[in-house]
Amino acid sequence: MSGIELINVRKAFHAFVALENLNISIRDGEFVALLGPSGCGKSTTLRMMAGLEFPTSGEIRIGDRVVNDVPPGKRDIAMVFQSYALYPHMTVADNIAYPLKKRGVPKAERARKVAETAALLHLEPLLTRRPKQLSGGQQQRVALGRALVRDPEVFLLDEPLSNLDAKLRSYMRTELVELHRKLGKTMVYVTHDQLEAMTMAHRIAIMNGGKLQQFDTPDAVYNRPANVFVAGFIGTPSMNLIDCDLANGHLCLPGYAQPIDMALLAPGTADGPVVFGCRPEDVLVGEGDMPATVKLVENTGHEKIVTLEIGDGKRLLARVEAGRELALDQAVRIGFAPDKLHVFARDGDGRRLNRDGENDAALPSQPARMAGQK
Amino acid sequence: MRIYRKLALTLFVWALVLLISFPLVWMVITSVKPQTELFRIPPTWVPETVTFEHYWKLLSETPFLTYFGNSVILSGSTTLFVVALATLGAYSLVRFRYRGRETLATLVLFTYLLPSVVLVIPLYLMMVALGLSNTLFSLVLAYTTFALPYALWLMRSFMDGVPEDLESAALVDGASRMGAFKDIIFPQLLPGIISTALFTFILAWNEYLYALVLVNSDASRPLTTGVMSMLISAFNIEWSLLMAASVMMSVPLIVIFAFLQSYLTSGFGGGAVKG
Repeated sequence: MSGIELINVRKAFHAFVALENLNISIRDGEFVALLGPSGCGKSTTLRMMAGLEFPTSGEIRIGDRVVNDVPPGKRDIAMVFQSYALYPHMTVADNIAYPLKKRGVPKAERARKVAETAALLHLEPLLTRRPKQLSGGQQQRVALGRALVRDPEVFLLDEPLSNLDAKLRSYMRTELVELHRKLGKTMVYVTHDQLEAMTMAHRIAIMNGGKLQQFDTPDAVYNRPANVFVAGFIGTPSMNLIDCDLANGHLCLPGYAQPIDMALLAPGTADGPVVFGCRPEDVLVGEGDMPATVKLVENTGHEKIVTLEIGDGKRLLARVEAGRELALDQAVRIGFAPDKLHVFARDGDGRRLNRDGENDAALPSQPARMAGQK
Repeated sequence: MRIYRKLALTLFVWALVLLISFPLVWMVITSVKPQTELFRIPPTWVPETVTFEHYWKLLSETPFLTYFGNSVILSGSTTLFVVALATLGAYSLVRFRYRGRETLATLVLFTYLLPSVVLVIPLYLMMVALGLSNTLFSLVLAYTTFALPYALWLMRSFMDGVPEDLESAALVDGASRMGAFKDIIFPQLLPGIISTALFTFILAWNEYLYALVLVNSDASRPLTTGVMSMLISAFNIEWSLLMAASVMMSVPLIVIFAFLQSYLTSGFGGGAVKG
């Protein structure tokens, strides 16, 4: 039983507040990604779980004990560092054996466990080498081996793949997911790469400016982003976000009054300035009746990303199939996938104003509400 | 043309080498010449008779060995002191964040900029007040005070080159802070420690001014002042003995250098080692 719980954790370095009022509850055996731009506090969060940093206030629990004052070596955790942090003067075998040695495991058992771990990670031929003589991918596997060998309850991984080339990275992604399935241990994974977070994690904690923005499944953060930040951060190309006004249940996109069904919005949403959001794949080119002009077509091979200009010089990205022929400056009509629209408050926190959850089913899905039946 | 340039350069370099090594060579030659051959004109380049009588005389009839022992103890303990303090101090300056950390480091460097002549009288008075005058320990303290600033800065740059992640990894792997230092940081710092140790040892071995002022008894004189007061007087300089003493004084340094040379060069170049 080793979940991790952060309760009202705050971390300040002198005047600089790195983390504010952080509450995260990670279940036993869960694979959680901490995702965010650099400087958002995700590494600090991980280092606090590891015991390398201490919270200014709040409580950290691993399993059912409070670990605020427990040194890293006694937390039953293992950590993989972005730089791998292999001990340069030790051989691969000694590197992997070091955590066992520090825990007083007898020599014979140490050798057996190192051999086991090496077999698991295909490191046998490298055991007598030193870290300097290894490639990046091999160093990465040794770092993993050093974490695995002790069979800890919790794995903490700090951008472990960011120093690998793209091909190796996608290979190691699969390896890590399989490893997690095999071990069933709690894993916390820090990354700034949303692809890694989306593909590997059960749940993603998205952080920005020292605050937790949303903590939910990849599906939820993609389809029901909790605020404007998450909406813009998750997804490549990112979501179209357009400032507009909500008046009498109508969303007024620039140069075009777009009727929007109030049923989409959370009850009690007042008229006023909002942010309209729509993912590029939910912009339907050629359906609907909103006028737009094609400004740029980027062909990625399996699809095309089209930059469209609507009223007031505002631009939208749309994703269309690769076979679709669109000329520059061509005038098109566009519409939006009816139940894939997002509305966010424009003030302060930019919170989501959609009606979500169990209410989703109650939403009328037909006919398209924005088709402009005036 | 290029070949001439290369030739000229080679000649120039060799001339420099000869110029620099001449005193050393002459020292060795003089030390094995008999007294009768010393002042002959023209000088003999290769001694006609080689004798080790001066060495023997120094070792058997003078307190040379006492001085030598004093110098070994003095330089050895100064080196131990300085290396231990500089390593721990540098660790603190690099790894911990506290108020006045940078100021402290700058102040330490500032003390290094003070000429040692300025400090010698106050130090002497302090030693007398502490009852330490005429002891080797007073010299150990004095040398430590002026070797430490440079050593601290040297160790600090080496320490900067050891990634903090290494230490964090050791902590997570179950080591205590001291354990992590011993197992992980220390081996990484070894080239730096050896450079610092050599610097300090040489400084302590060759120091003259403080030894002259702080120590006046034969029992605790180191080699530098001991040999001078023993062999040089107002009326006479015992050249043969002086040269023999100089050779024997140089030997320990040459031996140490020979053993640690590879460490030293890798040390000076390796301050920015990457984990």
